[in-house]
Amino acid sequence: MSDNRTLLTDMAAGLFADLAGKPFDVAWPQVAEAGFSTLLVPEEAGGFGGDWGDVLAVLRLAGLNALAAPLAEPVIAHYLLAKAGIAAPEGLISIAARGQRVPYGRHAAAVVQVGGGTLSLYHADACAFDEGLSPAGEPWDAVSFIGAAAATADCDVDLLALGAFARVAQASGALEAAFTLAIDHVNTRVQFGRALAKFQAVQQAMAEFSEEAAAVDASAAACAAALDYGHASFEIAAAKLRMGIAVDRAVPIAHRMHGAIGFTIEYALNHLTRRLMGWRSEFGGDAYWAELLGRRVAGLGGHGLWREMAARTDRLVG
Amino acid sequence: MQIFPLHPFLPEGDIPALRQQVRDLVAQHEARWPIELRANCWFSFDEAFSKALGSAGLLGMTWPKQYGGHERTMLERYVVLEELLAAGAPAGLHWIADRQTGPLLLRYGTEAQREKYLPGMARGEIYACIGLSEPGSGSDLASVRTSAKKTNEGWRINGQKVWTSGAHKSHAALTLLRTEEGSERHTGLSQMMIDLDTPGITVRPIIDMTGTHHFNEIWFEDVLLPHDALVGVEGNGWKQVVAELALERSGPERYLSSHMLLVALIDAMGPEPDAPTAQLIGRLTAEMWTLRQMSMSTIAKLAAGEDPVVEAAIVKDLGNAYEQALPRMVQAAVDADLAGKSDLSRLLTWILVASPSFSLRGGTPEVLRGIIAKGLGLR
Repeated sequence: MSDNRTLLTDMAAGLFADLAGKPFDVAWPQVAEAGFSTLLVPEEAGGFGGDWGDVLAVLRLAGLNALAAPLAEPVIAHYLLAKAGIAAPEGLISIAARGQRVPYGRHAAAVVQVGGGTLSLYHADACAFDEGLSPAGEPWDAVSFIGAAAATADCDVDLLALGAFARVAQASGALEAAFTLAIDHVNTRVQFGRALAKFQAVQQAMAEFSEEAAAVDASAAACAAALDYGHASFEIAAAKLRMGIAVDRAVPIAHRMHGAIGFTIEYALNHLTRRLMGWRSEFGGDAYWAELLGRRVAGLGGHGLWREMAARTDRLVG
Repeated sequence: MQIFPLHPFLPEGDIPALRQQVRDLVAQHEARWPIELRANCWFSFDEAFSKALGSAGLLGMTWPKQYGGHERTMLERYVVLEELLAAGAPAGLHWIADRQTGPLLLRYGTEAQREKYLPGMARGEIYACIGLSEPGSGSDLASVRTSAKKTNEGWRINGQKVWTSGAHKSHAALTLLRTEEGSERHTGLSQMMIDLDTPGITVRPIIDMTGTHHFNEIWFEDVLLPHDALVGVEGNGWKQVVAELALERSGPERYLSSHMLLVALIDAMGPEPDAPTAQLIGRLTAEMWTLRQMSMSTIAKLAAGEDPVVEAAIVKDLGNAYEQALPRMVQAAVDADLAGKSDLSRLLTWILVASPSFSLRGGTPEVLRGIIAKGLGLR
């Protein structure tokens, strides 16, 4: 971990903890002010000059604190604009991946869309939004472009995949936070004369929970390493799918451990689990990524799968 | 608390060349391996292949050269192991010596024991098994009763071991014995390296539910062992066994037991499967890919001198769950003729029946989750 990353994560950890539970109009200005949006923009272009490992570390902290503000979206938008040599407009820039609603679209000053090998930047006045809400109550707005793009450029990036990576990164943090809540609860809540943590059935369930959080952590880190290498389509498909499995297994345990206490609107758990439920669908759900990955593997052949996986980690060495 | 920070797997040396060396070796021998054998590599025996691995320098890879080893890194050994497992290469003969008995002798054995066993193990010529369980002593190993009594002429051994995999093919058994009469539980236990051709030893087969013979009973009737059969410190056997078992939980073998079935599924469905089949392959790939990342991270942590007890238990539990679910998911999704002759049919039938064993060897889910919970501070 670089010194820069330690500084970055220290700052993010402090700020996001302060902003936990705060609404968008409080949280977003402070996130914007801190400059996270240019995390992936090179230093010479006025950005932070970070890598995907830095993005993972920051998004993980955002997920851990259930940050009620966009972060992945402006990071990805600024990254793509800088790559394309297009000047980024002021204010929040969100992303429109194919077939996806635009997170926080109604609050955005501009939207970056990628399709057919072309990146298009639309200002807010060229966008019409059909407003909706995620399961966690965050704006998920379907966009129609009613005006011309302010700028376009060639772009071979899979925006859907970058969005999927962001949700895996956030989920790794949210799972840790939910796990920590559950640990604290079972260690302190006394029933039948002893702490819940003393019951073997509870221990076994918590162990299972930890395994799912671990799987998402490991897959998110492997994706960041692959993105930094330059090609991560295989890894992101696998990781997004694995995240779906983890949500499927871990969210019920988190709530089971808490009983009715965890099902209230006041208790912090719902901000984590409702986000996890939403992220499982966002930027491609299980079926989408499973079919995409499965078709790719079918093309590789039975032994080809292993050879591809080995080659993809060997390339990171040396 | 991040439960599983990913430890980067960064082996030294030419890793693609090492993989190619293993793949070439497999290609030279695979013609004589039936498909079921490749789905059962822990308990498949091919002496010529074990010796070929030894000649190629792929056994005892991390051991000192003075004992026939090759002084390569743990990560290089890991690469070789995962290649062999992914190819379903038979490992039954050399497996335990290379993975557990050899390293244990290096750590605790006498100079004479190392010189006697290690070079042959590294050549793929000396095979070992582990005598732990007894009829009354399964998960609760501390209750072993097979005894070793110190006499002037040597140790006198009496009792019975059971579930000893590969004993009928092994030259020696590293055996846990009660060396202090009347001792209880974890105290008074010692390990001994017992040559299985010693008079008074009887090895009897137990056939498992797949019809395979790998389990055995070993009977000891007044067996006389020399004093120097003791491995490590008298009375320290429990601690040594725990260290030995830790070597069992961190490897790639914990998620690859069913891999040949995934290979056969992909090949049988062809390059353009229908959507549900593609989704099944995608899902299985995602789980396997994730387990590989976790397994590599765990071995990298071990190689860095840390003790990833919780990580190893997590990889084994998730890995076993995956490799056991795989045949069930394939059965549910594919209309397979379980009596059929295709690779897919034969592998599916074999692995369905073999799969209950995957979560027995090296600890059941309940045992593993207990270890994880303890690591999480929950007990």
